[in-house]
Amino acid sequence: MRWTFGLCAIAVALLSSTTLDSSQRFDQPAPGARSPRNANYEIDVRLEPGDRALHGRERIRWRNISANPTGELQFHLYWNAWRNAESTWLRERRLGGNTTTPRPDAWGWTDIKALRVTQDRNYDLGSSVRFIAPDDGNTADRTVAAVSLPQPVPPNGTVDIDIEWSAKIPRPFARTGYIDDYYFFGQWFPKIGVLEDDGWNTHQFHSGTEFYSDYGVYDVRMTVPRGYVVGASGREVTVSDSSNGTAIHHFHGEDIHDFAWTTSPQFIVLTRMFTHPTLPQVQMRLLLRPEHAGQEARHFDAAVATLRYYGEWFGPYPYGNITIVDPAFQSGSGGMEYPTLFTAGTRWIAPARVLSPESVTVHEAGHQWWYGLVGSNEFEHAWMDEGINQFSEARVDEVAFGTRNFLARRYFGGFIPWVFRDIAVKRQVDEGLAGYRAQAESDAQATPSFRYWPSTGGNITYFKTALWLHTLEKWLGWPTLQRAMSTYFDAWKFRHPEPAEFFQQLNQTAGRDLTPFFDEVYRGSDTFDYGVQTLTSTPAGTGHFRTTVVVRRFGEATFPVDVLTIFSDGSKKTERWDGIERRAIYRYDTKVRARSVQVDPNRVLMLDVNYTNNSRTLQSRASEASLKWSLKWMAWLQDVLLTYAWLV
Amino acid sequence: MVASSWRDGLTRIADAPAVLAGIYFITLVAALPLATAIGFDINEHLGSSLTANEVADSVNYDWWQEFASQGGFLTLTSTFTPSIVGFATTLDSISSLLDKRPIVPAIAFALGFYMFVWVFLQGGILDRYARGRRIGAYGFFAASGIFFLRFVRLGLVAGVAYWFLFAYVHEWLFARWYVNVTRDIAIERTVFYWRVVMYAIFVALLALTTTVLDYAKVRAVVEDRRSMAGALIAAIRFIIRNPGRVVGLYLTNTFLFLAVVGVWALINPGVGGSGASMWAGVLLSQGYILARLIVKLQVLASETALFQRSLAHWGYSAVPLATRPEPPIVEIA
Repeated sequence: MRWTFGLCAIAVALLSSTTLDSSQRFDQPAPGARSPRNANYEIDVRLEPGDRALHGRERIRWRNISANPTGELQFHLYWNAWRNAESTWLRERRLGGNTTTPRPDAWGWTDIKALRVTQDRNYDLGSSVRFIAPDDGNTADRTVAAVSLPQPVPPNGTVDIDIEWSAKIPRPFARTGYIDDYYFFGQWFPKIGVLEDDGWNTHQFHSGTEFYSDYGVYDVRMTVPRGYVVGASGREVTVSDSSNGTAIHHFHGEDIHDFAWTTSPQFIVLTRMFTHPTLPQVQMRLLLRPEHAGQEARHFDAAVATLRYYGEWFGPYPYGNITIVDPAFQSGSGGMEYPTLFTAGTRWIAPARVLSPESVTVHEAGHQWWYGLVGSNEFEHAWMDEGINQFSEARVDEVAFGTRNFLARRYFGGFIPWVFRDIAVKRQVDEGLAGYRAQAESDAQATPSFRYWPSTGGNITYFKTALWLHTLEKWLGWPTLQRAMSTYFDAWKFRHPEPAEFFQQLNQTAGRDLTPFFDEVYRGSDTFDYGVQTLTSTPAGTGHFRTTVVVRRFGEATFPVDVLTIFSDGSKKTERWDGIERRAIYRYDTKVRARSVQVDPNRVLMLDVNYTNNSRTLQSRASEASLKWSLKWMAWLQDVLLTYAWLV
Repeated sequence: MVASSWRDGLTRIADAPAVLAGIYFITLVAALPLATAIGFDINEHLGSSLTANEVADSVNYDWWQEFASQGGFLTLTSTFTPSIVGFATTLDSISSLLDKRPIVPAIAFALGFYMFVWVFLQGGILDRYARGRRIGAYGFFAASGIFFLRFVRLGLVAGVAYWFLFAYVHEWLFARWYVNVTRDIAIERTVFYWRVVMYAIFVALLALTTTVLDYAKVRAVVEDRRSMAGALIAAIRFIIRNPGRVVGLYLTNTFLFLAVVGVWALINPGVGGSGASMWAGVLLSQGYILARLIVKLQVLASETALFQRSLAHWGYSAVPLATRPEPPIVEIA
């Protein structure tokens, strides 16, 4: 019964192995499917809450879609990242500044109990499983396992792999684990790597990067205590009660490249339908924690905004269902994406004028496009999902929720929020300009993401990408960028694009070679900083003024910018500066005095790390501004002094 | 007794406006140099930019982040956060104390100066409130001088007590007990309640310490005690014999503090603009600072009143009032 799935897939695989030749690009949809469906899983897993353990069996029906045969299989065993303190994940976490030693009950691991492959016959390979560390040679790392095959699998050849395993559920690491009676399971099963034309792409688990896997069909049965609610990737097919106080939840998902699930008896289950004149209907299922009852509309509204705007801008969401998980407090599982399921995250006190939980909901729902549907390699090119999605999310935040996006700070251990109702959050703040500015030169974006410096990589992955895409939006215009992104989405959904494919699409749609720009923002780590060096406007004879403007490139990176000079009668002169030389000088003879000058007045270059120096005026109000803000700061200091003076 | 002492305290503050004015002046002087320094930094960063106009009229959070990025961790610039706006100032400062957040060195210096001045002036303040009549500037500063070294000795004891509370008790409460007890709780509200319990314990311990120190100072001044150990023991004895009154008065003053903070939460000026709007904001915020100072002085004045009423010594102070020596010309005459 459990292994009946996939006969059709096998037939399709056998058929296609006879009709495709090895020079063809195999990363194409399987016949009748959206995706290649070359990594298909049937999984039967049992949760043991008492032992905090999982026991599972899985059959992987795998097809070699590369151009070359392989004599080896490689698997991710992600939970082994928390097996010992010397795993690559924990080493990198320490490099990033987190030196906390996990408590004894926090560790997690996966043990393979048996591994058999079926080729011409059934082979027991359990004893030949070995651990490899392709990224750093760390012999203590057990997150990648390999087995040699008795016979190589040719291009388009298939193999069935049966694995039995047990896993100790960790206290939450990397969005997976348990707290109390809440469980979230991500990267929880032995998962086959991605075989590319030049070999296996099976990276170890790194603290700063995520995942990469092939598309397939997932048919999963999860046995949990009766009364526990289950949310999972795909769609629930059946729930059947067992006699021993458990229930089996059967989920099925097609054309997805991962499977995550959660269970807890505490969830409140709510559903709502997304409808749109031109986009397919989507049933939204929200698993809400009881303490957040009343916030369901905020989760649904954010999911609706995502399904609408991402759907209109990039392409429709094809699955028909999506599950939003409101994670438990301290579960560490918030803000994470999985196919057709994601975790949002909110707080007990969530002020209405602050975009939480909206922004995280939009972000994670948005990953259904940039990660779920366009399956880029998150180990190597994390910016292609996180960065593009950060840009998309900030755009939705602005369009859908811009009128109620205000700054808030939290006090008293982070529990008590205070909203600054006169400090609106602009899009560049959502895009992380401050974070990028702080770490702008830490790594070139072209560096494989798993090699970024652990504590600063996020700023390059998320924020730099969002800012350079925003720059492109202002430079090329949104219609052009939107067309490029939707074309790219359509061409690469259910596939694994490389950066070159994205750049090529942008060049093609823009109708110009943007390579110099990509050289700066992707291949380089220089910063952009244009500014005004001098503005003078002095009488030069009767009724005339001589105005001199000197603008400078303070940063190493270059970008064409406008230089706008405004005169006291309101007239304007705009110059187009290619921004390559270190400085440019403009002189004007006019009947009126100049009032101000601005480099990049429309703020096209969102990556400019110092925008304050981009303008200069002859009627400065800096002293007024500094007086105002220093007096405010003084009142704050007086408050601090008085508070501490309580002690004397 | 509590109500009359509390009212009496307010009367004594009202009768000594110069004390309030002087303390306000000190609070201003302690903050002004650093405020001037950060004002120079802001002015320099804004330069002649158009951003300055926007920042003068309202706020530009983008600029704010850019300015804040100029300084590193624990620099003065790093304190220029949105917490300086409106009611956030109060939340930030109280949260900073209770959460034991690191203090920027320049702020710590200002704080040290401010506390030093308080230690110096408290003798004069208590003497003035204890006598309940004008003592003149000479008498005030003479009393300050008389009690300064005694209060420095008391301050050393207080320093040890606070060091123990912040270094050990706080650590034990928040980094051990709180963490252990909340580690497996998946409901934020429950975790928050635990944090409130920790805050309540810590605040109670701080309040007890400050109360003992306050009454030690009151007894030192009223009874002209030279031994600060004796003053501390006497203060503890007084608190043990009058627990209801001491706690009642402390709670009454706490309500006054909460009322002041509550009003501030309602009327705080926010970002504001420039010109008249800016000055209106300054007036409001300085009014709040003045109100906080009144609360601080009310604690001292009402505690003095309570002690004196308990001993039927209203208006009595054992130390002779210092008087200005007569000028040599008197002898010649």
